[in-house]
Amino acid sequence: MNAITRGVKNTFRNSIRTVGIVAILTVAIALSISMLVARDAVNKKIESVRASTGNTISVSPAGFFGFSGGGTPLTTTQISDISSIRHVTSVTSTLTQRLTSSDTSLTAPTPSGSLGGQFSGGFGGSGGFPGGSSGTFTPPVRVVGTTTPGQALVGGANGGGTETLVSGSSFSGTSTADVAIVGKTLASTNSLKVGSTFTAWNTKITVIGIYNAQSTFANSDVLMPLATVQKLSGNANDVDSATVYVDSVDNVSAVQAKIKAQLGSAADVTNAQQQAEQQLAPLNSVKTISTYTLLGTVVGAGIILLLSMLMIVRERRREIGVLKALGAKSSSVMRQFIAEATTFTLLGSFFGFLIGIVLANPITSTLVTNASSSSSSGFSRDGGFPGGGFPGGSLPGGGSSGGFHFGARGFGHAITSVQTSIGFSTLLVALLIALLVAAVGSSVAVANIARVRPAEVLRSE
Amino acid sequence: MLTISNLKKSFSSGAGDVTAVKDVSFEARSGEMVAIIGPSGSGKSTLLSLLGLLDAPDSGSLSLDGKELASLSESERTHFRAKQVGFVFQQFNLIPNLTARENVMLSLEFANYPKAQRAARAEEMLTMVGLTGDKANRRPAKLSGGEQQRVAIARAFANQPPLILADEPTGSLDRATGQRIVALLRATATTQDATVLVVTHDESVAKQADRRLEIEDGVLREIA
Ligand SMILES: Nc1ncnc2c1ncn2[C@@H]1O[C@H](COP(=O)(O)OP(=O)(O)OP(=O)(O)O)[C@@H](O)[C@H]1O
Ligand SMILES: [Mg+2]
Repeated sequence: MNAITRGVKNTFRNSIRTVGIVAILTVAIALSISMLVARDAVNKKIESVRASTGNTISVSPAGFFGFSGGGTPLTTTQISDISSIRHVTSVTSTLTQRLTSSDTSLTAPTPSGSLGGQFSGGFGGSGGFPGGSSGTFTPPVRVVGTTTPGQALVGGANGGGTETLVSGSSFSGTSTADVAIVGKTLASTNSLKVGSTFTAWNTKITVIGIYNAQSTFANSDVLMPLATVQKLSGNANDVDSATVYVDSVDNVSAVQAKIKAQLGSAADVTNAQQQAEQQLAPLNSVKTISTYTLLGTVVGAGIILLLSMLMIVRERRREIGVLKALGAKSSSVMRQFIAEATTFTLLGSFFGFLIGIVLANPITSTLVTNASSSSSSGFSRDGGFPGGGFPGGSLPGGGSSGGFHFGARGFGHAITSVQTSIGFSTLLVALLIALLVAAVGSSVAVANIARVRPAEVLRSE
Repeated sequence: MLTISNLKKSFSSGAGDVTAVKDVSFEARSGEMVAIIGPSGSGKSTLLSLLGLLDAPDSGSLSLDGKELASLSESERTHFRAKQVGFVFQQFNLIPNLTARENVMLSLEFANYPKAQRAARAEEMLTMVGLTGDKANRRPAKLSGGEQQRVAIARAFANQPPLILADEPTGSLDRATGQRIVALLRATATTQDATVLVVTHDESVAKQADRRLEIEDGVLREIA
């Protein structure tokens, strides 16, 4: 039997103490691992959100309030001025209008399910439409005039992805024809096919395509050429949202400043990067929380082990003296105690790891959900709606809940779907942490071993 | 042959210096058992700690078989203790979570005794001190005081050191058991040809020794 074996054996010398120390270390290490995993997962999510927010700037009229309008529309001239700013590669514009039953032959699909309820609640709450229960309320049909069919509904409260044509064809960005491509939900509600016609603003519009944008909400819209909507709705030259593409991410803020200077107070100019950062705020706070908790638990585990080892060394002072009197080198006695501390740590790591893996996912989602909902009003304003959201504080207090609840859900869901996984590097970090705990925990106690004089064994207690 | 001359050791404590060993000189041959007697606080344990190289003297010289030991470094003293000295204590000082056999093997390990022969050597020593059967596999708590001191004697003699130092080896035992333990020390000193120094308060123990030395206030003298 050598010093190491003796050390390992000593770990189990006092079973109650062993269980106590191992249990505390287990909890600390389980928490560390959960925090490590949470941190990794959140980090990955942050990276991916950052990577996906590109070099775009959103321009919308000041005070523009999502579906319910508000503010003074921008003009086509203003948009074309933006196009000529250096580093701007392209500008896409939309004008969104709503057709009530007196304006069109179309019927909007009735929203269903809880999302539908929140949707109509949102209209009621924001004040743009008569409130009331979702059962009797018939929403208008939304018409989006766009210069970029295929990209008009991407993101935000539109809830859509890229619109993919399921039949027919699209129109060109500069088209002025009385044509439309319609969402597949709207198409089926109104039995529309390619070649069908409907009326809007007393004009006959021909359906040339049907799209699918991956969400019932976005699939209830009508897309028409921007110029056509401007002409038919009597809003010639009006634009209520524009997306400016900049040649490189580095130039985004410079271009943004120029646009702001050109449009003055007439428009809200935001870039996707800033929006993303605001959206990421809750995730960043989770990251901070998990980092500090990780540090805290590691330090805590180290202190617990350190105090335990100090206690053990003090208790076995005489035995240390005996070993030295019998001719054991100080280093060999130290090895024995380091082996003991390491065994405690490994036992704690083993159980802590098992529990940590089980807890990592629920802890991560709890952290992310709590952090997101506690700041939901903050990010839903910016993230939930096209065109850069609401000016701060303009949301009417009481009636707003339905409206931004949807934003929080729709967006919050995407940001809270954080994937946890335990990778090789996480394992490695965890192992290093365990070793660090063992090293810190035994160092001070082991230093005391050197100070035990073998002559002490001849003193009676 | 153990030769000590003019050994001195003092301790500084809060109340000033205490000279525990003032001026000690004597010689002891191998195979000889020497008893050291004296009142409490007279410096007996301090003297043993100097002889066993648990501590270094302030001055004087100390040699075993012609090798000077007073000036050894800390690590040389450790090596010397492992190879050349066996200790027997009043409180037995066995390691509580090791069996009797493992306790004996401990001193063989520190003395670098060949690994493969340690278990057999420990068994042999335990048989010699009269511990047979399953007692070798018991932990100290499952042995009587006398049996524990036998294990300690087996541990002290296991690697055949030339010097055995015993501080009150019968102090925790009843009279009869104490007598048997001293007889065992006496016999083993002869068979192993070792010098055995026994510190004791007990006259009947001292009587079994070849020679008796008395220490008072750190000064040693031979008793006829
Ligand atoms: N480490 C130390 N520090 C300070 N003083 C010490 C130390 N060791 C011994 N002394 C002092 O030296 C003197 C001799 O002590 P020692 O232990 O050698 O006596 P002893 O003869 O063994 O007594 P006892 O029979 O009671 O064991 C005592 O006065 C003691 O207080
Ligand atoms: Mg003493």
